[in-house]
Amino acid sequence: MTDPNTTRRERAPRAFEAPPREETTLDLPDEAGSGDGEPAHHLPGRRGLRWGALLASSVTALVAIAVTMSVTQMVEQLFAREDWLGWTALGLAGIAGIAALALIVKEAAALMRLSRIGSIRETAERTLRHDDSAGADETVRALSGLYGHRRDMAWALGRLKRFEGEIIDPADRVRLAERELMGELDAEAGRLIAAAAKRISLLTALTPAAALDLLFVAAQNLTLLRRLAALYGGRPGSLGTLKLARMVVTHLAVTGGVALSDTLIQHVVGRGIAGRLSARIGEGTVNGIMTARIGLAALDLVRPLPFETLEKPRLSAIAARLTRSTGAPQAEAADDGTERRPQDGGGRL
Amino acid sequence: MSLTTVLDRTRIAMSEIADYAGALGNPALRLGVTGLSRAGKTVFITALVHNIVHGGRLALFDPAAEGRIRRAFLEPQPDDTVPRFAYEDHVEALIGEDRRWPESTHRMSQMRLTLDYEPEGFVARNIGSGRLSIDIVDYPGEWLLDLPLMTRSYEEWSRTMLEASRSARCAPLARDWHRHLATLRPKEPAPETDAVKDAELFRAYLSACRDAGASFSALPPGRFLMPGDLAGSPLLTFAPLPVPEGETAPKGSLWAMMARRYDAYVRHVVRPFFRDHFARLDRQIVLVDALTALNAGPEALQDLGRALGDVLSCFRHGPASWAASLTGRRIDRILFAATKADRLHHTSHDRLETITRAMIETALERAEFAGSAVEVMALAAIRATRETTVRQNGDALPCIVGVPEAGETIGGETFDGSREMAIFPGDLPDDPQAALAGAARDTVHFVRFRPPWFEAAGPGDGASFPHIRLDRALNFLLADRLA
Repeated sequence: MTDPNTTRRERAPRAFEAPPREETTLDLPDEAGSGDGEPAHHLPGRRGLRWGALLASSVTALVAIAVTMSVTQMVEQLFAREDWLGWTALGLAGIAGIAALALIVKEAAALMRLSRIGSIRETAERTLRHDDSAGADETVRALSGLYGHRRDMAWALGRLKRFEGEIIDPADRVRLAERELMGELDAEAGRLIAAAAKRISLLTALTPAAALDLLFVAAQNLTLLRRLAALYGGRPGSLGTLKLARMVVTHLAVTGGVALSDTLIQHVVGRGIAGRLSARIGEGTVNGIMTARIGLAALDLVRPLPFETLEKPRLSAIAARLTRSTGAPQAEAADDGTERRPQDGGGRL
Repeated sequence: MSLTTVLDRTRIAMSEIADYAGALGNPALRLGVTGLSRAGKTVFITALVHNIVHGGRLALFDPAAEGRIRRAFLEPQPDDTVPRFAYEDHVEALIGEDRRWPESTHRMSQMRLTLDYEPEGFVARNIGSGRLSIDIVDYPGEWLLDLPLMTRSYEEWSRTMLEASRSARCAPLARDWHRHLATLRPKEPAPETDAVKDAELFRAYLSACRDAGASFSALPPGRFLMPGDLAGSPLLTFAPLPVPEGETAPKGSLWAMMARRYDAYVRHVVRPFFRDHFARLDRQIVLVDALTALNAGPEALQDLGRALGDVLSCFRHGPASWAASLTGRRIDRILFAATKADRLHHTSHDRLETITRAMIETALERAEFAGSAVEVMALAAIRATRETTVRQNGDALPCIVGVPEAGETIGGETFDGSREMAIFPGDLPDDPQAALAGAARDTVHFVRFRPPWFEAAGPGDGASFPHIRLDRALNFLLADRLA
C-alpha cells in the first residue's frame, strides 16, 4: 500500500472535529494492484488469426443474407397475391426476427456472465497472492452483484455484510467471502455431480446399444455443466454451455497430469470389483467416474472463487458412492439429483 | 549446569508428568500472554474471553466461523494458590459508566477457559473428547523483566544497571541514588540501614524511570516497582553496587550481603515465577506496544526491542513433538502482536508490522531458527476507534475517530476526554530501519483513546467488543488444537 504523499512535509499529526457516524468513508481510493497487468491465463488463449472463426462467421453471414433475401422475396410475392397474406407473413417474419435477436442477446449475455465469473476468479486469485485491498473490494462487490438478486443467497450475503466495517486484510476478506458464500453452493454442486455420475453409470449399464449411451452420456454431461454453471450464477444458454464444454475439455487436458491418481481409481474400481461382476456394470462405473471428473473440472471453471479455505469435493468420495449404488440399482430411484448429504465419508461434499 | 537449574528442570518435568496424567481426560493448552507493562495483556485476555464466550465476530477464527464451538465457559482456575483473573471486573470497567481501561495489574492471576467443540476429523469425532481448556495467566509486566536475571550474576547485573543509569536519559533521575552510592564502600562491612537506604533510593530511581517511560532494560528487578505480596520483604533490600571486575566479595562486606540477597531474590522470586507460569507454555503471544515507543523516540524503540529480546531468550521455542515433549514442553507457535493498532488507520498497519518485525528481529529469528511457527501482526484486542477520511487542501488524510483520553495532545491541541475527534496520527516511515533510527520522531504521534461505546453488533450476534485481527490471532494460536 504505497502512499504517494509520504514524502510531503505538511502531513503532520493533527486533529479534526469528528464527522457524524453516517458520513464515514471507510477506505481511501487505493492505487495498489493496478500495476500488474493481465495475469497469465492457463487456458489456451487466442492464436493469431482465427481462420475457423472467420469461416464460421462469414458462412453465418451468408446464410443470414440468403434467409433474409428469400424471406423478403416471399413476402413480396405474398403481397402481390393477397394483401392480408403479405401482412401476416411480414408480421411472422418480424416476430421471428425479434425472437432471433432476443436469443442472440441472451446468449451473448450468458457468455458475458460466464466470462465475468472468470474475471472475478482472476481478481480473487490475484488478491490472495498479493494481498491488495482494491482487488478485495472488487471481488466482494462483484460477488454481491452476482448473487444480490438470489433469494437462496440472501442469508449468506447478509452474513458477509456484517463484516463490512471490520478491518480485515484483503486476502482474508476473499477467504471470508468464500467461506460465507461458497459453502452451500459447493455442497449442492457435489450432490449434482454425484447424482449425474450415478445416473450415467446406471443407464450405461442398462442401455442395449453403445450408440445410444454415447448420446445419452453427452446429453447428461451437458445438462450437468449447465446446472453447475447456473448454480454458481452463470446461467449459460446453449452457446454458453457449449463454450463451457470446450473449456472443460481443455481444462481436463491441462490438468491431466494431476488427475493421474484418478485414473488409477478408475482402473481399480472399473476393471476390478464392478468389472468382475459384469462388463456392462464396469463400463457404467467408468462412465460415471468420467462424468464426475468432468463435473469437478467444470467446478474449477464456473466457481467465481478459487478453492482456498474450503475443500474441493473429492473424486474418491463420489466414486465410493458410485460403486456402492451400482450394486443396488433399486436404490437409484430415490436420489434423483435431490440426494441429501449422506452420513458416510461424503461429509465434505 | 548448576544444582538449582537441575532441580528446576526436575520440578518442571514432574509437573509435566502430572499434566499429562490430568490431560488425558481434559486436554489443556497453556497460552502465554507475554508483554511488558502497559502492553495490553489484561485487555487482550479480557477481549479474548469475552469474544469467545459471547460468540463475537470472529470471522477468521475457523472453529468459530465454522460453528464448531458448542459452548465456551470459564472454569475454576486449576491452581489454587493463584487468584482468579478478575474478568468480570475488567469487563465492568470497560463498559461501565465512565468507560476506562483496566488498571495496571498488581499481582498474579489465572484463568481457565474451556471450549466444547465439534472435532473436524473422523477419528477425533469418535475418540477425542471435543473439549479443550485454555489456561491463561495475567501478571504485572514489570515482573517479566526479571526473567533474564536467572542467568546473570550479581556482579554482572550491577554493572549493567549502573551503566544504564548513567545513560543520558536516566542520569538525571538517578542523581540522588548516585550521590548515596558514592558514600558506600562495597568491600567493607556496612550497617543494615545503609543497605535499606540504598535500596530505597534505587527503587525511587526505578519508578522515576518507569514514570518517565525512559527505559525498559533499566527497570529490573520488577518487584521493586510492583512488589505484589512482597511489599516490605527483606528480599527487596538490595541494590547494585559499583563492584570491581574480576574480584570476589570479601566475607561480611556490604557487597557480599547484597550479592546474597540478590541470589535469594532470584531463587525465591524469579525462578518460581518462571517455573510455575512460563516453563510449560504451549503457545505464546508477545504483545508489543510499538506505538508508545514510537511516540517516545528511537532510544525507546531500541530499548523495547532489546528488553523483549532478553526476556524471550528465557523461553524454550521449537516444534512440538513426542520426543521433544519428553525433555520439556516447547512453544511451537509464537505470535508477535503490535498492539493498539486502532490508534492508526488500517492502511498503515503493514508498516507498523514491518517496523515491529525490525525492532524484535533477533528474538524473532531465534524463535524461527528453533523451529517455531512465527507470525507478526498489527492487532487491537479492543477497537476503540472507527476510520474516516478527511479531505484538506486537496489531500486525503486517513484518520481515526474516537474519544481521546483527557490530557492527550496532538498538534498543540489538548483533549478533555469527552469529545469525539478525528485524529490524523501522521504517516509512518516506509523504511523500518529509518523508523528505528528516529525518522518518525516528529512526524507521527499516537494518542490514547478511551474504550469504545459498547454496542450490540447486530441481531443474532453476541454483543462483544469490536477488535482488529483478534480472530486471526486466535486462529494462529488455537485453531489447530480445535481441529
